[in-house]
Amino acid sequence: MSIQEYNGGSVVAMVGKDCVAIACDLRLGNQATGIAMNFEKVFPVNDTLYYGLPGLATDVYTLREQLRFRVNMYRMKEEREITPETFTHLLSSTLYEKRFGPYFLEPVIAGIAPPTAANPNPQPYVSTLDSIGCITTPKDFAVAGTATDKLYGAAEGLWEPDLEPEDLFETISQTLLNAVDRDALSGWGAIVHVITKDKVITRTLRSRMD
Amino acid sequence: MALFAASAQQEAVAAPIQHRFDPYEDNGGTILSIAGADFSVIAGDTRQSQGYNIQTRYARKVWQLTDKVVLATNGFAADGANFVKKVKQRLEWYENAHQKQMSIKSIARMIQTMLYAKRFFPYYVYNILGGIEEDGTGAVYSFDPVGSYEREACRAAGAAQSLIQPFLDNQIYFRNQTFPADQPKPIPGNLPLGTVLGLVIDSFTSATERHIEVGDGLEMYVVMAKGRAVDDLTSKGALPEGVVVEELGPLGEGGGERTFLVRRTLKRD
Amino acid sequence: MDTLVAQLAPSRRGDEGSSSTAEWANNGYGNLDASGAVAGMDVPGVPDPLAFLSMHTDSMSTNPQAKIKLAHGTTTLAFRFKGGIIVAVDSRATAGSYIASGTVKKVIEINPYLLGTMAGGAADCQYWETYLGMQCRLHELRNKERISVAAASKILSNLVYQYKGMGLSMGTMICGWDKTGPALFYVDSDGQRLKGDLFSVGSGSTFAYGVLDQGYKWDLSDEEAQELGRRSIVAAGHRDAYSGNTVNLFHVRENGWEFIKNYDLSELWYEYEEKKKADLAAASAAAAGGVPIDVE
Repeated sequence: MSIQEYNGGSVVAMVGKDCVAIACDLRLGNQATGIAMNFEKVFPVNDTLYYGLPGLATDVYTLREQLRFRVNMYRMKEEREITPETFTHLLSSTLYEKRFGPYFLEPVIAGIAPPTAANPNPQPYVSTLDSIGCITTPKDFAVAGTATDKLYGAAEGLWEPDLEPEDLFETISQTLLNAVDRDALSGWGAIVHVITKDKVITRTLRSRMD
Repeated sequence: MALFAASAQQEAVAAPIQHRFDPYEDNGGTILSIAGADFSVIAGDTRQSQGYNIQTRYARKVWQLTDKVVLATNGFAADGANFVKKVKQRLEWYENAHQKQMSIKSIARMIQTMLYAKRFFPYYVYNILGGIEEDGTGAVYSFDPVGSYEREACRAAGAAQSLIQPFLDNQIYFRNQTFPADQPKPIPGNLPLGTVLGLVIDSFTSATERHIEVGDGLEMYVVMAKGRAVDDLTSKGALPEGVVVEELGPLGEGGGERTFLVRRTLKRD
Repeated sequence: MDTLVAQLAPSRRGDEGSSSTAEWANNGYGNLDASGAVAGMDVPGVPDPLAFLSMHTDSMSTNPQAKIKLAHGTTTLAFRFKGGIIVAVDSRATAGSYIASGTVKKVIEINPYLLGTMAGGAADCQYWETYLGMQCRLHELRNKERISVAAASKILSNLVYQYKGMGLSMGTMICGWDKTGPALFYVDSDGQRLKGDLFSVGSGSTFAYGVLDQGYKWDLSDEEAQELGRRSIVAAGHRDAYSGNTVNLFHVRENGWEFIKNYDLSELWYEYEEKKKADLAAASAAAAGGVPIDVE
């Protein structure tokens, strides 16, 4: 078993109409044994930007703290909030610093930048990186973790363009739940964040506990 | 003589040469079968690949065995073709001995024993058997390479099984779906044919999009129970654009069951 | 080893079809030879068939790069008590981390009064326990009485012992009721055969034993015993990634086995969680010396 599958866990993010959603399971395992069912893998950067870190749990903590430090430094120097695009590049360079001893994580980012004079109408944004920082910015959805292939299949079948927040919530929830139910190393609860321009809706889902 | 002696000198061998017997290949592709109340759909894509190369864009993986049974094979194409050949031979012997075609339940048990006979030198083949049970209901039986089997309402196997099966769990078994109190949860395996074919097509187009070993063409065999109306398959506008339906004649005397082959193209990239 | 291989491989390339039974013999049950033994299994013509098999197949997650993935991962349990035998199993089969099936029947109904459980290779258990069913029926016809559980389990253990070292993988419990009362035997593919009161087999067995051991006693009522079996499988299905989906519960009594029910394991887990919460609330209320009142 690879080190990326040691603790298990999965993350999915989706683009909707003027909204994005990001969701994860809550399992933390030690190979086959379930240890915790409250291990969130998705974290906020600010009110309109979230990111998920599925992979090796010890690296989740390390990278999360590293990113918190760098985002705070950015905030103080720039005196503004970081945009999803910039955060993606910040994360990419942070990962590439460890090119020859990488974090065993595959981050997923979802957010909508606040409107500015230069960009009055920002679009919903989803991106994903590999463990050494290569960026992909899909127009539809991004998946990562031990249930990757199951998430791809479910998302490809269920997702459609321009979903409203409530429909996007249903789509991402069904995608995540049905994918993790076919993955032995993911599951044990789930949490979903739907991000719109003016609010974030967070819900925990009732999922299979086996 | 000195020359000879010099040339006869053997080169030092660094390490013993290892020969290993490696008779298996993975030819990709995916198969899928869904049972209805009075029909069964057995489908497979037609791409055959070896690593990153496509050997052919049209290779069958689904085979009509009797008037009411269809077998889909996936894994190592040579083993699959050979296995189907042996199954057909056994079915022919049975028909000659008993003057009737073997039932799906018996074919399933026979396939178990044939696979298990090669427990120590397995066929690298995942089989899905679909058709009509003796009582007229649609049936799906799925097998592992050495013969463990189970009757189910739906099953995907092969390269994209992990992509398709969660989608099917959701759409066929209604997993993780809740229904309002006044609307009871539908029973799995009772979906109308049009819905089932739609799900099969969606499953394969999704798998084609995300898996390199799936694509080119899609063959869906539809087996209809005796006396079932077929207008939901053959009438004009019953199926989406670009789908071609062809009826396959009975193999034996014909007990009233009808088998159709529904074809469609899939992306070739 | 070589002699065994020679015995098991009756036909080699070139002499196929030389005997009229060869083709039939390669096809399983249909061909018990004159002595009633299984006639033949195809074995690859290599010096070490086990090495060949373990290179290409993965039955216990020990060889994840192998192409042929056989279904595995399990929790099964059975225990004897005054009311008979309880048999409870999960229904999950995994290939790597992919859950290949959530509806596997891991209790094999050998005949109306004998049950076998499935752990390890699904095909090995299904095939040989079906074969055991045939041998048990032949015993009945020959001796005009039912086979004892001890004898039935010994047929199986002797059978798998013949194939020892060739890669069979099974850990099974043979459960039934005979002249001696309820009887339970553990048989595995190493050839081990144990008589006992309580067994659990599979990747989730340690979790099941945890619940089973703290609740087990001989004098359990039928309901208590069934509940113990059910609760143990739920605990294992919850903690073990390779067990879960549903619980199948059987009860063996004097006149044969009875299938009690199939339960959704996750739904049961939520029920137990609710009960835990309710008990906790009641306990804290009792400690506070009264029943809590609803507060707006």
